[in-house]
Amino acid sequence: MATERTSGGSQSSLREANRARIIGAVQERGSITQIELAGVTGLSAATVSNIVKELTAAGVLQTTPTSRSGRRAQEVSLARNLGLVAGVHVGERQMRVALADVSHRVVAEQRLPLPPGHRGDACLDRAALLVDELVESVGAPMSELLAVGVGVPAPVDVHTGRVTAPWILPGWAGLHVPAVMADRLGIGVPVLVDNDANLAALAETRLGVARGMSTVALVRLAHGVGLGLVVEGRLVHGRRGAAGELGHVLDVEDGPECPCGLRGCLEMSIGSAALQARLAATHGHLALRDIVGRALAGDAACTRVVGDAGARLGRALATVVTILDPDIVVVDGELAEAGEVLLGPLRAAIQDRALHAEPGPVRVEVSALRGAAAVRGALALALDAHQVGVTIGAGALT
Amino acid sequence: MSVPGSGDVLDEPAALTLRGISHSYGAVRALVDVDLDVRPHEVVAVVGDNGAGKSTLVGVMSGVLVPDAGEVVVDGRETQLTSPGLARGLGIATVFQDLALCEDLDVVENLFLGQEIRHGPLLDEVAMERDAWRLLAQLAVRVPSVRVPLASLSGGQRQAVAIARALLGEPRVLVLDEPTASLGVTQTAEVLRLIERVRDNGFGVVLVSQNLVDVQAVADRVVVLRRGRLNGEFDADTASYEQIIAAITGVRRDGGAR
Repeated sequence: MATERTSGGSQSSLREANRARIIGAVQERGSITQIELAGVTGLSAATVSNIVKELTAAGVLQTTPTSRSGRRAQEVSLARNLGLVAGVHVGERQMRVALADVSHRVVAEQRLPLPPGHRGDACLDRAALLVDELVESVGAPMSELLAVGVGVPAPVDVHTGRVTAPWILPGWAGLHVPAVMADRLGIGVPVLVDNDANLAALAETRLGVARGMSTVALVRLAHGVGLGLVVEGRLVHGRRGAAGELGHVLDVEDGPECPCGLRGCLEMSIGSAALQARLAATHGHLALRDIVGRALAGDAACTRVVGDAGARLGRALATVVTILDPDIVVVDGELAEAGEVLLGPLRAAIQDRALHAEPGPVRVEVSALRGAAAVRGALALALDAHQVGVTIGAGALT
Repeated sequence: MSVPGSGDVLDEPAALTLRGISHSYGAVRALVDVDLDVRPHEVVAVVGDNGAGKSTLVGVMSGVLVPDAGEVVVDGRETQLTSPGLARGLGIATVFQDLALCEDLDVVENLFLGQEIRHGPLLDEVAMERDAWRLLAQLAVRVPSVRVPLASLSGGQRQAVAIARALLGEPRVLVLDEPTASLGVTQTAEVLRLIERVRDNGFGVVLVSQNLVDVQAVADRVVVLRRGRLNGEFDADTASYEQIIAAITGVRRDGGAR
């Protein structure tokens, strides 16, 4: 088959690129036969066979005999240690589900767009089905599932497992997430729940840009505004899980009324609805990703709106930075994709307003795990639950 | 007041406009004076109960049905969609609910059926296979191989192949009739992401569906048909499920009954 190959600088870098393509293709599909791998990657069957053999010996892939159209074939999947955990991140407009082995290697993922104002029970129904189908896609029985972590974009009391702020996600008010999820899954595994910004902070601290740091502030700017705080290596939940609801600090004195009952909340200024409303007159209806895309492409109005959101967010974060003196501020969520368009004004606002301490201004970085931070945090939560069961006394983050 | 090149959506002409479309089957009035605009880079959902006129509207847009009255404007020019071939030629591609794929042909053969790439008198299989991979990769469609028969693919994968085939002719508007009906949740996720991607690539998408959850997940606008008439248009981001349901069932208009 004639296919263009990515040209590498040398034999070995070409081989490295081919290995990466094969691993990527397997990860995307959960499991795939060698012949299909050749088709997907455009590599020759012999090359695929060699690389699969090599990666199997290295413990990266595993093969199991199967049959396709009546012929014998080798099914390739990522090698995993026995036992799987699932992570679910329910966002305002999409749900991500990922499956990982006990070494936190992601073996399969799925993303489902969600309607605005979705309902908890219906969402968890679909989440459970997705988990079930993902487990099946990697060829494992449900009995291999050890624990499930769930992240939701609302304050959660992690002790009771209930969503505590009814005005943020009305369709989730008071929902006992672990009980409903366990019921939908139909198997007796631990289900843990936390706020999505908290989980993203957890993931970035363990695996991402804040790796090894002890005090981390992660702000999620997507449809709403969320903040996850790690202090001295531990997530901060507060009394009832509402710690870090940055979207509801004061932005505009006597501003518009927020569903939470307060006035002039930050979320009313920089939540997706506010950004869309500011652009409606000139741009018509834009999805959040359209605004980000246009800002990156140089659209003046979109750049201004995103930059202004960065400045307002930075002003609020300056207070957080002054109080907490974090090692780093990590920016996550769909707006983070705008990169410097958002981060430039955000950094400037923090520097303007935050106390200047000795080592210089605080680092402000985009999440390293990008959109996957929260779902990776949900996986980490599930892994912790499993490991706590095995080795008593764990609990610290790093 | 716009900066040049800012690409204001409001100034962008509709890719497809229907004005005053009416159609009857004998004494049954299936569509009555229906207007619809489809702009590039947007998903317009058409929802309604059984018998609300959704399928008739799909028929009109695809050129299968010539309406009794009303005009069709494509890219600013008034026209008549008198045959499916003509509609396709004008850049309106339709994926019907039955998908119209051949079970025993493979993915490449299905994609290029009737529009094969030739190399002299022979089919250029290599070029078609390469284009098939490129197209599917562009849409991030996951199929095990482009040389497996359609019969071995899942419902979601078949839907993806049908959508890819519709996009081969480089249309401006893609009409999807119940694309997630009878799909499992994983396959629904794949089709919804595909719709997002098609829209983000600049196509206008008409999503005809009964499933409000899927509709609200990806639509920019929701248009409600009830008994052949328009019964409301909503911004999909701000309208509530209850508002749309009310328009579908006519609760608001009839004051509670039915």
